[in-house]
Amino acid sequence: MTYQTEIAPPLLDVRDLCTEFGTDHGTVKAVNGVSFAINEGERVAIVGESGSGKSAMAMSILRLLAYPGRVTSGKVRLEGRDLCSLSERQLNSVRGREVGTVFQDPMSSLDPVMRISKQMIPPIMRSLRLSREKARAEAILWLDKVGIPDPERRLEAFPFEMSGGMRQRVMIAMALSCRPRLLIADEPTTALDVTIQAQIVEVMKTLTAETGTAMMFITHDLGLVARFADKVAVMYAGRIVEFGPVRDIFCAPAHPYTQSLLSTIPSTKALRHERLAQIPGMPPDMKSPPQGCAFRARCAAAVARCAQDAPELSPRGSGHIAACWQPKGLEGCKRTACESRPQHGGNRPPRERTMVEINRLTKHFSSPRLFSRGPAPVVRAVNGVTLRVQQGETLGIVGESGCGKSTVARLLLGLEQPTSGEIFIDGLAQMVFQDPSASFNPKMRIGAIIEEPLIVKSWGDKAARSARLRQLITQVGLEEAHLERYPSQLSGGQRQRVAVARALALDPSVIVADEPTSALDVSVRAQIINLLVDLKEELGIAFVFISHDLLTVRYIADRIAVMYLGEVVEYGPADQVFDQPAHPYTKALIEAVPLPDPVTEARRATRLLEGELPSPLNLPKGCAFASRCPIATDICRTEKPVLRHPMKTREAACHHVNSI
Amino acid sequence: MKQDATNIPQSLSNPSSLSRAARGQLARISQGRFLGNRKTRVALVILVPILLLTAFAPILPLQGPLETNLRAMMQPPSLEHPFGTDRMGRDILARTLSGVQISLLVGLSVAAIALVAGILLGTLAGFFGGIVDRTVMSIVDIFLAFPSLLLAIGLVAVMGTGVIPVIFAIALADVPRFIRLQRSLVLSLRSRAFIDAARTVSAPQGWLMRRHIVPNTVAPMLVAASIAAANAILVEASLSFLGLGIMPPTPSLGNIIRDGQTYLEQAWWISTLPGLVILAIAISFHFLSDGVREALDPRSRQ
Repeated sequence: MTYQTEIAPPLLDVRDLCTEFGTDHGTVKAVNGVSFAINEGERVAIVGESGSGKSAMAMSILRLLAYPGRVTSGKVRLEGRDLCSLSERQLNSVRGREVGTVFQDPMSSLDPVMRISKQMIPPIMRSLRLSREKARAEAILWLDKVGIPDPERRLEAFPFEMSGGMRQRVMIAMALSCRPRLLIADEPTTALDVTIQAQIVEVMKTLTAETGTAMMFITHDLGLVARFADKVAVMYAGRIVEFGPVRDIFCAPAHPYTQSLLSTIPSTKALRHERLAQIPGMPPDMKSPPQGCAFRARCAAAVARCAQDAPELSPRGSGHIAACWQPKGLEGCKRTACESRPQHGGNRPPRERTMVEINRLTKHFSSPRLFSRGPAPVVRAVNGVTLRVQQGETLGIVGESGCGKSTVARLLLGLEQPTSGEIFIDGLAQMVFQDPSASFNPKMRIGAIIEEPLIVKSWGDKAARSARLRQLITQVGLEEAHLERYPSQLSGGQRQRVAVARALALDPSVIVADEPTSALDVSVRAQIINLLVDLKEELGIAFVFISHDLLTVRYIADRIAVMYLGEVVEYGPADQVFDQPAHPYTKALIEAVPLPDPVTEARRATRLLEGELPSPLNLPKGCAFASRCPIATDICRTEKPVLRHPMKTREAACHHVNSI
Repeated sequence: MKQDATNIPQSLSNPSSLSRAARGQLARISQGRFLGNRKTRVALVILVPILLLTAFAPILPLQGPLETNLRAMMQPPSLEHPFGTDRMGRDILARTLSGVQISLLVGLSVAAIALVAGILLGTLAGFFGGIVDRTVMSIVDIFLAFPSLLLAIGLVAVMGTGVIPVIFAIALADVPRFIRLQRSLVLSLRSRAFIDAARTVSAPQGWLMRRHIVPNTVAPMLVAASIAAANAILVEASLSFLGLGIMPPTPSLGNIIRDGQTYLEQAWWISTLPGLVILAIAISFHFLSDGVREALDPRSRQ
């Protein structure tokens, strides 16, 4: 493969890297001959679904694989040096000093019992050979650069005193403070909120540009890639299937997998109510990778040749390579049965029947103190929310974590009792939970899980119930055989289908879905969203869709409520809220969402939201958003704005709503 | 396990779902996962011969455990007396096997009592919280404040000696630990999403406990029970050694060792061989608990 056009040798050169995990049930071939190169100062994104081997590949480069992972063959050259032939001791001096790493979970990647200074200063002293005082000054400098307020004091803090976003900033500061030539970031923002994610990405982007550090950025979020990367490598089943400049990948993808992946994302411009494209099937089991092209079972353009030989990467343009026998990938084959996009039923006007009515709902949590007197601290999770959902309508609730959106869901379901306010539900409300692995009793079979609501409510007799079970399981697109399985035997997408079936069992009038797609891979996410939309139209159920994924909410919801610190700050029809946000917070949220389009991303002026959510323990007197608001004035800090109607169809709680 | 479409509704409407869950666990134990475990196999290699010998002790060509033979006192191990004889010419192997019988009876009874009482009270305390929790846990805390051996000694002193009092004395010291463990398991389960899911259809509390909570605590509780069984065997031996448990002439591993300790220099076998048997039994039970844990661990489940 000769796609290396630059004359200077690349900073990192990976050749035919193979990694395996030996398990009790067979060898998982996680990485199967990956080759690519990263040049000085270049930002390369590695994209792929979970199980595509992207993390295993990154960990293999520094031999950080956990047992039983093992690099079986291949070469990794960093500035011409073969990292695979280095001893563990030599490699240790490369880690941190020449290659920095930032991992996904900011909660567990810092040592909880050590102050930041203890974790940060010694590596700087070692790699830059500085005295303790100088290293300390350096650490403070970097904490300042990554945007940590009051860095001198923060340096002596323990990790638990910081929020997730702060910790991830510390991780980045730690990684960059040793002046590495290359930074490997494995899903560094996945655990964070969109606004914080946007801040972190911006920090990484400016700082790597400033220091000339090259970067390998592993993610499953195509929007982030468009915002961030120079080049993109798309991984599928342990191989790179496409590699090239970011614009080529997004504007002229050549591999069917990349093409399908891009079309599964709800676009901001596409007509709503157009069905999302979905990739049928599931990634192959890497214990026994299929012969030939690994994607062929899910590919509409597959031909006989794909079953025999796996295609090699071949050039598609300047620096753009893809591994597919078809010169243009799917092209024209898109419209086969499973990948066609039949229109959704169109925008049927919601029937004039209110299914959910919430009036001035509040929920306060208080925890009595043991040793101090005075009133117990009160967390105002929900603070006077008023909402309505019509029959057949979808209400989207968006907001950062901690804004009270999940508490609203729990209140709706009767899982919590409101402190004050009223909830009226016409009929029955049911829920689809976020994490498909935690929402089922692992000791029960799928059939028993779906049947449980029926039994509890003494619905029908045995025969009627088993008929209903079979009807439900086919309704959500699974087979009757799945009724006999245990939850652990199903994939994430299948489990979420089961969750939907369980929610449908008692013919509810409202389904509350709390982040139903955020634990799923992109290709599966589209399947679940399509399923929910179909059911909504088929059964006329009202939906409350809670998510932090604004693109999905925009796609699925008719009306949107934006929540901030327990209050609804903006409420109105989805398109209007997105196209002309009235509240500055809505505006900031929308701006923070990375769009899967590098051209738009480059043009967008990203005005980032400063700071983080204030603690709901002591809410400010005035507007809750004033501390982060770019247009806040004195009145915002003293007087609380109420929800008003700046436009006929919409409500917003802001003093300056007309001036935006 | 047989799987056909019709057995689901039946099994669901079966009121004894707790026992069904337990049967499920046992079925998993009987599947290769448990027997395929190396530690399990080591434990079984030790335990099975001991159990067989104990079971067939009456028909073995041994002298009865209480029979004395004044012509063969303090004999070293030989073919006729594989473990030798004591100062009254009683056969040590016969006495040891009879002691093992009592040991196992004590160990398994204690484990069963602790398991049942722990699951019952721990579930109630953890699930209902509030006043139920505070009452149960205050009593538990009081019991836990005593060293378990001292507690057992005190109870035996009150209730008298013999197998039944010993079982109750040891179990009473173990039950609070089981309540604690069960309660903590219940607390972590109570906030899981599948409990919420059942609550959204207003499933009654008894249903939640029976169907969702207890089946998910059985595995760790079984592990704790097999360790408790090993511990109970040792405590019984300790009590008997101190002259508080099983009273002579009824043989128990503890009182055999006690008898022999005076003659340790002249007749080492009297104390040493039964001592080794206790060691072997205790180690096997610990290995068994590891085997149970690995067999039931949902993380290693396929």
